[in-house]
Amino acid sequence: MGKFIVRRLLLLIPILVGLSLLIFLFIRLLPGDPASAILGERATPESIAQVRAALGLDRPLHEQYLEYLGGLTRLDLGRSFLTNRDVVGDFLQRFPATFELTAAAMIFALGLGIPLGMFTAKRRGSWIDQAGTVISLVGISIPIFFLGLMLKFLFAINWQILPDSGRIDLVHYSFERITNMMTVDALLAGSPGGFVDALRHLVLPGVALGTIPLAIIMRITRASVVDVLNEDYVRTANAKGLPGRIVDNRHVLRNAMLPVVTVIGLQTGLLLGGAILTETIFGWGGVGKWIYDAVVASDYQVIQSGVLLLALIFVLVNLVVDVSYAFLNPRIRYS
Amino acid sequence: MRTWRWVSVLAVLVLVLAACGQQPAATPDEESEAPAGSDEPAPSESAGAGGEPVAGGTLVFGGARLADSLDPVQTSDGESFRILQQIYEPLVDLKAGTVDELEGVLAESWEGEPDSTEYVFHLREGVMFHDGTPFDAEAVKFNFDRWQNLPEELQANAYYYDAVLDGFGADNLIESVEATDELTVTITLREPNPTFLYGIALTAFSMASPAVLEAMNADDPTAGTFGTDVSLGGTGPFVLESYTPEEEATFVRNDDYWGDPALLDRLIIRPISDPAARLQALQGGSIQGYDLVSPTDYEAVTDGGFQLLERLSFNTLYLGINPLARENAEAAGKDFYADTESPLQELAVRQAVAHAIDRDALIEAFYGGRGTPADTFMPDTSGWAEPVAGGVEVLEFDQDTARELLAEAGYGPENPPTVHFWYPTEVTRPYMPDPRGLHEAVTQMLEDVGFVVEPGSDIWDDPGYLGDAQAGLYDLHFLGWTGDFDDPSNWYGVHFGYSQGEPATQFGCDVDGLEEAIDDASAELDSTTRGEKWAEVAGIIHGEACFMTMVHGDTALAFTEEVQGYEPNPTGSESFAKVWLSGE
Repeated sequence: MGKFIVRRLLLLIPILVGLSLLIFLFIRLLPGDPASAILGERATPESIAQVRAALGLDRPLHEQYLEYLGGLTRLDLGRSFLTNRDVVGDFLQRFPATFELTAAAMIFALGLGIPLGMFTAKRRGSWIDQAGTVISLVGISIPIFFLGLMLKFLFAINWQILPDSGRIDLVHYSFERITNMMTVDALLAGSPGGFVDALRHLVLPGVALGTIPLAIIMRITRASVVDVLNEDYVRTANAKGLPGRIVDNRHVLRNAMLPVVTVIGLQTGLLLGGAILTETIFGWGGVGKWIYDAVVASDYQVIQSGVLLLALIFVLVNLVVDVSYAFLNPRIRYS
Repeated sequence: MRTWRWVSVLAVLVLVLAACGQQPAATPDEESEAPAGSDEPAPSESAGAGGEPVAGGTLVFGGARLADSLDPVQTSDGESFRILQQIYEPLVDLKAGTVDELEGVLAESWEGEPDSTEYVFHLREGVMFHDGTPFDAEAVKFNFDRWQNLPEELQANAYYYDAVLDGFGADNLIESVEATDELTVTITLREPNPTFLYGIALTAFSMASPAVLEAMNADDPTAGTFGTDVSLGGTGPFVLESYTPEEEATFVRNDDYWGDPALLDRLIIRPISDPAARLQALQGGSIQGYDLVSPTDYEAVTDGGFQLLERLSFNTLYLGINPLARENAEAAGKDFYADTESPLQELAVRQAVAHAIDRDALIEAFYGGRGTPADTFMPDTSGWAEPVAGGVEVLEFDQDTARELLAEAGYGPENPPTVHFWYPTEVTRPYMPDPRGLHEAVTQMLEDVGFVVEPGSDIWDDPGYLGDAQAGLYDLHFLGWTGDFDDPSNWYGVHFGYSQGEPATQFGCDVDGLEEAIDDASAELDSTTRGEKWAEVAGIIHGEACFMTMVHGDTALAFTEEVQGYEPNPTGSESFAKVWLSGE
């Protein structure tokens, strides 16, 4: 197992180098120029040249890339063109917000998806099962920005029962950002009111972000449980008179979880980097909104390093998923 | 059954969360920790709406972005200035509500006229920076010296210093800055500059504490900490308590302020880039005010029971009309045009373009009725609008005249003039809320009088649009300007000034005597004569129809009912110090 993990970690190096080159080139193919973005209508050919020189954009591409790569080896991912802030510092500051939102979305998706998948599988063919299939189809196909805007309009603007945006009620709660996860920081500051308020702020974006994973997890769970229910060992377990709960937990769910865990891993990875729409709609100061703003401003350094960091996290989450297989199914051996 | 239990637990949890603290306003100060830096309990009693200003409370305001940097000299945009001018102050500033009247801020008074090379500033006594160090003549000298010697890497960000003081280093406009005594500073210029005081009234010229600048390594381009850390470098009515990029900036009242202390206990500015999302945040109650209301939302704001505060404009949308575009494009190797002969080379055709455009209709359709037709480049809020207008004959909307002019130039229904007309995408500006919509409307107006219009567009911040427009590659194009300070040199001068004997490529406006007229007007120090001379310049430019000034677009802010005392300024330079909350 240890060897496997080390090998996978070593594999990261070529993956990240390749990825960094791809992102580096793609960004430069995009329309938009950081110098013009910074200067706006005050741009003159001279000032643009000056800014480009200051940002190092006037040098040949290969030189720019090699310097970027050199920085990577020293774990220096550069500075934002626009704000001159350290990209890694900015990423680390925002990532907890995205992590918190992802966790909320996944709790919502898993908390509902697995039990509903199990439930519909056991009542295969019934109207409940069919309704579940339809609902999960809708869940998968609904555009996230539409869902987000509808949730916000209904719950925040029309009925005003949940906050419309942001991570905490800034008027009433101010506590030190230690982890930059509001729920955790509220608890650390000993503010139960702040904790509840932070949870309330998580509901709408969490539901918006968690709907697609919920639908996918529900469908995969259902399909997988249906397969397992047909296995001989389940029949045997039932036949020997084991209580239903033990059959479900020990025999059905555990064996059915393998594909579900894969999906959970992939979905978590996606959510961590793909919350751009949700974060923008709900004014959530996470990584997604950060990268979105960087794309709008042609802030190359933030885009390339930010995407690289997200890719790194995606790969690491998947590694964790692979490792967790071994625990779920001891027959799987890594060498 | 267990499944249902799960689902019901989750559902109940969500409902409980929704119910919990649904009305947090009912228990206002229970949970909020006392704002740092204020040792006395905040006076949070409130008065009835519209009564006497009362101190206390927290205001959450939505801007489009936070600041690019917390170092004033390294900023040049309105959103950065909004953050910085709560904390920092310049020596002199424009009086609230004006664009051309100066008042002392950190300088109590000054000596120096538009034709002087020497300015003596008498500083306010007893002013302290937020870090507790005193503000004095040495601090002023430190700031000016630092700006003049800014490291090259940071110069690119210091647009205003560069523009106002003509570059950096020993040979720019500043000859010397001397601390004559503790509270007197003498600034000597190399030559008189009538716009010097207006220039240094910009937020970019705010005074920062030398101790903070040094502690933060503000001049180290690789340190970059000035963008992230909370700055205690200002003297202003608010102290920055915390600053979380992309999330919020929190300010608390500066209780040791030299002037009237701010009324709010706390001010929080949240960045919300999308105007629709800002409106939703106001409707949802998470902010109590926001800037740059989209003109299409004016009704939603007033119908929702919110206040809409209009900000008179200090900007102008114009239509660039370039007779040389096709030659320029050919020389640049761009195949924009099949026909290299431009109908716009005829003055009558350029004038026909101007006569074809109904500016009032555009204001109604795209500016929510808030804006004024731009007869000259100078906005109505400018002190120079009147003198400059004296030299300009306005080409009013008149389709018949437009058709006659085209006929005069030899064009008619059988051989209509073809013009290529460009607009920028992926951008809105206060003067240009909907570039594509404006383009469609103006295209229609041009076609109505007999033009054939070939549309073109490019991305705003791509060298494509701004670059090509400024290189003079477009027959017709939209662009605009928000004034830096109130002087025609910042409007006509910046756009039409000659460089090494060559006219500005953007307009290809090369008229005999224009170069001399601009130089002459720029150098004139007597304000009446200066007005006359700029009127002459404007007369030449508008007379040649080198561009058509279209609209001064007003902008607006929205606030909830209880927010009082906000004073919009044409320049957008606005302090929250006098803002107060009138209670529920």
